[in-house]
Amino acid sequence: MERRLYRLALRLILLAVAGASRATDWELSLDTRLVTSDAYPSFMDGGLGAVRFGSDDSGLRLGRARLAVTQPLGELFSAHLDASVFDDKDRSALGVTEAYLFFRPYPRAGYRFRLKAGGFYPPVSLENRSAGWESPYTLSYSAIDSWLAVEVRTIGLEGQLEWLGTRTGHAFDLGVTGGVFGWNDRAGVMVASNGFVLTDRQTPLFGRLGQPGVKPLNGAEPFMEIDHRAGAYAGLEARYLDRAVLRVLRYDNRADPTQADTVSHVLAWETRFTSAGLRVEADHGWTAIVQWLGGDTTIAPQSMTLNWPFQAQFALLSKRFGRNTLSARYDRFAVQTNAPEFYGAQDGHAWTAAYLFDLDAHWRFALECVRVVSSSVNREEQGGPPLATETQWQLAIRYALGSAIR
Amino acid sequence: MRPPARASRSRSAAAAAGALLALAALFAAARPAAAATLVVSVQTPDGHALPGAVVTVRPLEGSPRHAAPVHVVMDQVNRSFAPDLLVIPVGSTVEFPNSDSVSHQIYSFSSAKRFQLPLYRGKPYPPVHFDQPGVITLGCNIHDEMLAYLLVTDAPWYGRTSEGGSWSAEVPHGHYRVELWHPRLRDNEVDLRRELTVADADRAELTLRLSRPPQPAPLTDRPHSWDY
Repeated sequence: MERRLYRLALRLILLAVAGASRATDWELSLDTRLVTSDAYPSFMDGGLGAVRFGSDDSGLRLGRARLAVTQPLGELFSAHLDASVFDDKDRSALGVTEAYLFFRPYPRAGYRFRLKAGGFYPPVSLENRSAGWESPYTLSYSAIDSWLAVEVRTIGLEGQLEWLGTRTGHAFDLGVTGGVFGWNDRAGVMVASNGFVLTDRQTPLFGRLGQPGVKPLNGAEPFMEIDHRAGAYAGLEARYLDRAVLRVLRYDNRADPTQADTVSHVLAWETRFTSAGLRVEADHGWTAIVQWLGGDTTIAPQSMTLNWPFQAQFALLSKRFGRNTLSARYDRFAVQTNAPEFYGAQDGHAWTAAYLFDLDAHWRFALECVRVVSSSVNREEQGGPPLATETQWQLAIRYALGSAIR
Repeated sequence: MRPPARASRSRSAAAAAGALLALAALFAAARPAAAATLVVSVQTPDGHALPGAVVTVRPLEGSPRHAAPVHVVMDQVNRSFAPDLLVIPVGSTVEFPNSDSVSHQIYSFSSAKRFQLPLYRGKPYPPVHFDQPGVITLGCNIHDEMLAYLLVTDAPWYGRTSEGGSWSAEVPHGHYRVELWHPRLRDNEVDLRRELTVADADRAELTLRLSRPPQPAPLTDRPHSWDY
């Protein structure tokens, strides 16, 4: 009798696995790079380089190895998991960049509601719209999106309500978004210690920045809860047909800057920002994006209040023709501070030019050049020049396969 | 016995006339003698032809007529509906197979027909019956960019303008209302409606020039993997 029950249970499990695997959408990709760079060491190596790969990284590198799985759970829920290997400098080689449950009831009477719970990106980027929060225009993200990739993530709940005007005879859709989150009390460490960078490395949910024992980041963990106070954001989105998207978001992690973690004694960073962006797409493969982000981050150890206001903006122009995509982007970024000796102050701009060629659904080739010119007080303190120009060239080959890639 | 013979001749003449009349009536039923070709042309404000606009024609007098229901297929290929617009008479059925390797979840919240086809691939659902006239907007709850329209009409004559911007139909002489619809038109409904009399000619023409340019067509060359 017992054996029969075991057999039945085994059969049921096998049936469930078979059923699940049929419905599961998955994607696997490997992105390798040939890099030549004259940049300072990257933040993961304890340096203040403004790009992902420093001069020591020149040669063959792993861009990203990625596994993504989407599993429908019943009719209206689904679970998403995005795991990646970027390099071997993090605590563990494989990390999860996003993992969340998604609730999407059917739209009713012209309105659509969506709810996400887990770890994911807040709705800021207009550039990173490809699978795995990647940009279809360039390899390296803008300074704004690089910062989000490094130390901003919603670990909590996000609700979105949209009025679907385009489905009811109008030219516009309008949406409001609200998020409540924890475990992001360390957002701001990177911008105040290293400043803005242009990278495509996304910190995993249990990842760290830099290396333990190496200043300035000292292996900081951006996704920590210190003061047990939830952060929040609210945003608006307007769309004109499928041609233009305007997105505005106000974010405040509501961290108490006087608090420190009881175990590691690291401080909570109160980080607030506003972002606004517009993406316009036209016939013949043209895309233009402009985005601005401004905010500040504060710590208040021992009755001192140290504050770093920061701003970043970029303009991107891209043209797609057949399987080719040519893009150019100009970034500007700056960090000011009231800290002693202007610790963390930075000012810079960057040019990025990229050519992407999609051979088919599986193979993508890319060539990109990023040139960053920046002044950095911290770099000068480390014995570097006050003003530096860093150039990084990357040749990328990516192979992807998956349930929807044919 | 001539009179009877005469009577017999007149009877046979009457029978022949009756047969002729019946034939004429039959002919009239098949193709009315008093019919004409109605040609409707649609132009943008700058005079260019507008292809794909839906034209419906209803008689304003006589007993109401309807077109016979049809059975059609709207497929899903490469995360798009194919075709993305169908005009069907009231009472028609539409099948929504999914030819993609990914699942779709089709819905309509339009008042003319609310329905949902939960997550599926292939052809698991029976055709959907459309018994109310109106515009039905279709979407996929997984892929928000997917969009298609069904126009369910009670008009006896309907169709879409050709590449040259025109549509034509054989209609009996009479008084008609011609209406135009297209998901991208910005003119108001009254401006897209005309009344006309088709009489005393074998061809009637109506040219409708829009007062406002239509909205731009959806972008079609974006990779399907993008999050819109």
